[in-house]
Amino acid sequence: MARGIKDKVAIIGMGCTPFGEHWNKGPEDLMVDAFVEAIADAGIAKNQIEAAWMGNALDDINVGNSALPLAHALRLRGIPVSRVENMCATGSEALRAATYAVAAGAVDIALAVGVEKLKDTGYGGLPLRTKGLANDLWMPYGSAPGSFAQLAGAYAARHGIDKSDLKRAMAHVSWKSHQNAALNPKAHLRKAVELETILKAPMIADPLGLFDCCGVSDGAACAIVTTPDIARGLGIANPVTVKAIQLCASHGWELQYGEWDGSYVANTRQAAKRAYLEAGVNNPRRDLSLTEVHDCFSITELVTMEDLGLADEGRASFDILDGRFDRGGAQPCQIDGGLKCFGHPVGASGLRMAYEVYTQLQGRAGERQRGTVDLGLVHNLGGAPFNSIAAVSILGRLH
Amino acid sequence: MPNATTQSRGDRCIAAIGAYAPLFRMDRAAASKALRFSGLGGRSSGHRAVAGWDEDALTLAVEAARTIAKEPQAVIFASTSASFIERSQATLLVDALALDPSVRTSDVAGSRRCAVSALRDALLGRGNTLVAAGEKRPATAGSPQHLSDGDGGAAALISDNGAARLIGQASISHDLVDIYASREHPQSYAYEERFVRDTAIGGVIAPTIKAACAAAGVEPKQITHAAVHEPLPGCWRDIARLTGTTAANFASDLYQSVGDLGAAHALFAFALACAEAREGDLVLLAGFGSGCDAMVFHITGTMPGAREAAATLRSGVVLDDYTRFLSLTGAIELDWGVRSEFEQKAQATVLERYGRDMIGFMAGRDTKGNIQFPKSRIPVRPDAIGPELMEDVRLADEAAKIVSVTADRLNFTPDPPFWFGLVQFDNGARVIMEFTDGDGKGFSVGDPVRPRLRIKSRDSRRGFRTYFWKAAPAQRPAIEG
Repeated sequence: MARGIKDKVAIIGMGCTPFGEHWNKGPEDLMVDAFVEAIADAGIAKNQIEAAWMGNALDDINVGNSALPLAHALRLRGIPVSRVENMCATGSEALRAATYAVAAGAVDIALAVGVEKLKDTGYGGLPLRTKGLANDLWMPYGSAPGSFAQLAGAYAARHGIDKSDLKRAMAHVSWKSHQNAALNPKAHLRKAVELETILKAPMIADPLGLFDCCGVSDGAACAIVTTPDIARGLGIANPVTVKAIQLCASHGWELQYGEWDGSYVANTRQAAKRAYLEAGVNNPRRDLSLTEVHDCFSITELVTMEDLGLADEGRASFDILDGRFDRGGAQPCQIDGGLKCFGHPVGASGLRMAYEVYTQLQGRAGERQRGTVDLGLVHNLGGAPFNSIAAVSILGRLH
Repeated sequence: MPNATTQSRGDRCIAAIGAYAPLFRMDRAAASKALRFSGLGGRSSGHRAVAGWDEDALTLAVEAARTIAKEPQAVIFASTSASFIERSQATLLVDALALDPSVRTSDVAGSRRCAVSALRDALLGRGNTLVAAGEKRPATAGSPQHLSDGDGGAAALISDNGAARLIGQASISHDLVDIYASREHPQSYAYEERFVRDTAIGGVIAPTIKAACAAAGVEPKQITHAAVHEPLPGCWRDIARLTGTTAANFASDLYQSVGDLGAAHALFAFALACAEAREGDLVLLAGFGSGCDAMVFHITGTMPGAREAAATLRSGVVLDDYTRFLSLTGAIELDWGVRSEFEQKAQATVLERYGRDMIGFMAGRDTKGNIQFPKSRIPVRPDAIGPELMEDVRLADEAAKIVSVTADRLNFTPDPPFWFGLVQFDNGARVIMEFTDGDGKGFSVGDPVRPRLRIKSRDSRRGFRTYFWKAAPAQRPAIEG
């Protein structure tokens, strides 16, 4: 394996808008809001940024193709600005691009912005596709909850878990995120919800009820990255650094080859394996202080705990019910509320997760601060379990 | 007088027969109850077969024909409710059944007699011909036709050899306007039943049957089984009296079970008759509509497909929800909300490249024997390193099981919920598919399923539709009631 990017890139500034239904803000407003926070945090001037990447997943919805929306919104003059898209893993993809540019020595300071304006669609849920291509001739056009709900039945069948027991563990996942988001002023859904309410919610895609599904939100998040040396020159003695960013994309194996049983996300396992190797994490259950995972649906978080090696196979539901991943548990997950309650503006979510880990690493998370945080993991999942893009990043301090 | 001929130019036979009724059977009594305030709806006994939202005349015909389409040289699609006016359903049927594209194709319509007329012509002609009929006729809520019509398909393979040998036939052309449908009025418009009954029976049907029997050299009373499409339910007694026939009419029973299937009705009834007939019996087949075609067959053995056709009537799900019936039959347009507005336009260029593999459910076998769908230049097999040639493998008739599944209630479908999931075929292929016909017990991981051709997308804005295969339960529940 190549030497990787561990500690070659420092994050010196981050920003994140409140996620939610921003009826009175367009994507340009959201990008500016996130950027203003990030550049103030970094303590640099805008003209020091040498390259920028915009992550935006759903180009039809009021943001627009290309990187021009970002270049215009921030008035980025005379520098390369690119748009990246990798479904719900888009935010991590933007950060990866900026990080690689710095690590390669191509630029000294780079910007990554993720943005999504979902609430201009006029309906709930993710926007509908609009193109008539080859896959439309055969592939079911299921919703996102429908696609992820498939995990639940397959997981229960593989591990012999009663569906009602699994549903209770899934409910705990959502209950915990609502509890956490109540402490987060930027979260979309800040109301604690009773377990019974979650269990009795209307069904969206069997067995996912309304509260098993994440919020659909507007929002933007932003990161400014540079080299550790430049960071130190800016007066940041022990900057947050990128320990690993790994990504793995489906190549059809799950969909077309008869091996996968549908009960886990293969790309998460592969990306995590490489990320742990890149970061030098030998025992993720011991080494990771906290995680921000792609809890688009409760079952996703449950399965992800096993895919990341944070729970034994077939045991995640028990660990969840034991409170291991609660805010006060041994290894908190979604301490900021997660996609479930912080919200999920698709292109911004990967950077939002990094924002929380970055904030926790610096001890700046206020009421929800998890003591001393050494290493945090970001898991950002695009697509569907049977056709996915998994990004796993690990952040820590330089020393 | 009807034009009649004795079959003399060698034997021509029906070699196999297929029939298909959709899952749902509307309980006419339940519909009548819902309509009681109005006094509308017509007869209230029996059931009416109701196609799913994703079925149409083509898919119904394909289901009927799929087991009997053995290397025909000609394929004829018959329907008065075909979805396309300019786009051959017979050609789509050839692709759906993965038949040789050099087969001759034609589409017939014009009256509900069209399938029987096509059958007659095939019997008077040469070579192996497949006649496949499907019908899903629009009707206005409250009209008698809405409850008396049914949806379904039937097919017959005509050959020089077979279990039903044509021994005589007769035809009469007669523009009797009992019902009509037009571009301006797609739903059937019906005239007075007393007029229709008197004129059709005495002036059209009875003379044709008598002429066919005469051409066959048999007395009507020698007929042992009848499959005579009645112009209206309950006419058989008068037809039998006028012709001297004493046989039971299986078309009447079919009406009670699934309704009047239009172009598919007489063929379906013929299958039921053949299921009961024994060697040496005489079976009368007659189609009606703008005239009449009648044929007399001598049964020489067991008719392939006949028993399965009879079994089709014993499985299904009784529907007693009148509002759902209205929606499924297109009699009311529900507002499905903004999510239903998504674009479903299909591109002709894309269809040209991939359409035949899709409607034929054609997977590919790579050089190491792994089967995958869809085909690709570089196989999905993990050790594949470059492009390989793939051999066609049809999945439509392969056994399969469910790997993962959900009932999606967010996604738009005209008949919620939207079932979909991963399907593993026993031959190794794996496909993510929509599921259909889930009423009853739904779907679970590990359930056996079978592919059925259905409408994949419906572009209502442009009046276009595409077809693909969906996973349906391998076995249908026995019908109750």
